[in-house]
Amino acid sequence: MEPLTILIVDDEEDLAFTLAERLTLRGFRAEAVTSAIDALQCLSKEKFGVVVLDVKMPGIDGLHLMAEIRQKYHTLPVILLTGHGSATDAERGMRAGAFDYLMKPIDIETLVEKIKRSIGPEKGERL
Amino acid sequence: MSEVPPHREGELAFFGRMGAHVSHEMRNVLSIIGEYAGLLADLLEAAEAGRPLDSERLKQLSRNIAGQVAKGTETMQRFSRFAHAADQQTASLDLTALVEDLVALAQRHATRAGCTLKTQLPNEAIAVTGNPFRLQHLVFSAIELLLAALENGESVTVRLHAEGSTAVVTMLGKAPITTDEWSARVSQLSAAANESKAVLDTSCTEGILSLTLAIPIQ
Repeated sequence: MEPLTILIVDDEEDLAFTLAERLTLRGFRAEAVTSAIDALQCLSKEKFGVVVLDVKMPGIDGLHLMAEIRQKYHTLPVILLTGHGSATDAERGMRAGAFDYLMKPIDIETLVEKIKRSIGPEKGERL
Repeated sequence: MSEVPPHREGELAFFGRMGAHVSHEMRNVLSIIGEYAGLLADLLEAAEAGRPLDSERLKQLSRNIAGQVAKGTETMQRFSRFAHAADQQTASLDLTALVEDLVALAQRHATRAGCTLKTQLPNEAIAVTGNPFRLQHLVFSAIELLLAALENGESVTVRLHAEGSTAVVTMLGKAPITTDEWSARVSQLSAAANESKAVLDTSCTEGILSLTLAIPIQ
């Protein structure tokens, strides 16, 4: 079975690439980018199973990027990451169609569980 | 009860904004350290299961963690100096260090606005006497004001030099568009500057907008 592909989008380069490496060690195929523009480019070239997306980013922020993803890739699940003290932005994101959200610092096992749930219970169990 | 001037009302909001900004920055630093520590644990677990352990990779991760700790420590030291500025009504302070701290603390604020901040500071201290917190607010507000007039991708250069008995802080940026609302904010900042015995001046030459704060060296 092909590994599930995950796109991580976070302007904090260290966080994005380390997270990708940790997900790879857990059997996923993860790619990291640091801007919304790079994310849209990646999505146009390759098929991803899940997007993990930071809410606060310079330029096009996470919520705007999510709106574009929703428009172009209707069924692609998006999990939001937020470093903000309040969950307000993430809750706005949930109303706008995010599958779920996670507060930073991230608990990797919680993220993995949310990734699995985001692709549906049957597919998720097989991972 | 006496009426609070509008530029004063912003002081508490400014303090809160800086606190929120630094806590966000520290949360990021801690998140990254958490990820590095998690990756170290993952690699050790994988080694126990038979995967070869790359010692260079571990050394790199250890250096990365140390780098984030240094970054967090520097941010907290700058914020501590910022917060303690409110301790005294009047004090003699090093304007060079104050501008350097403020620009570092405002860097992420500028990044969020799609801009960058650069400094051209003297190597020596420029000592001024005044209300440290108000001076911080003044310089930061001037940076914010210029950022508000900039387009995405532009940069603000913050310069500082002494001219006789005056310290001059100049903020420069390529910003051809200013609005009535922006001009109103300039007037408000000018009033705040006068209260700190400073003078705010704006000019625009060949599309380069500059805000100059002249602060007396006492």
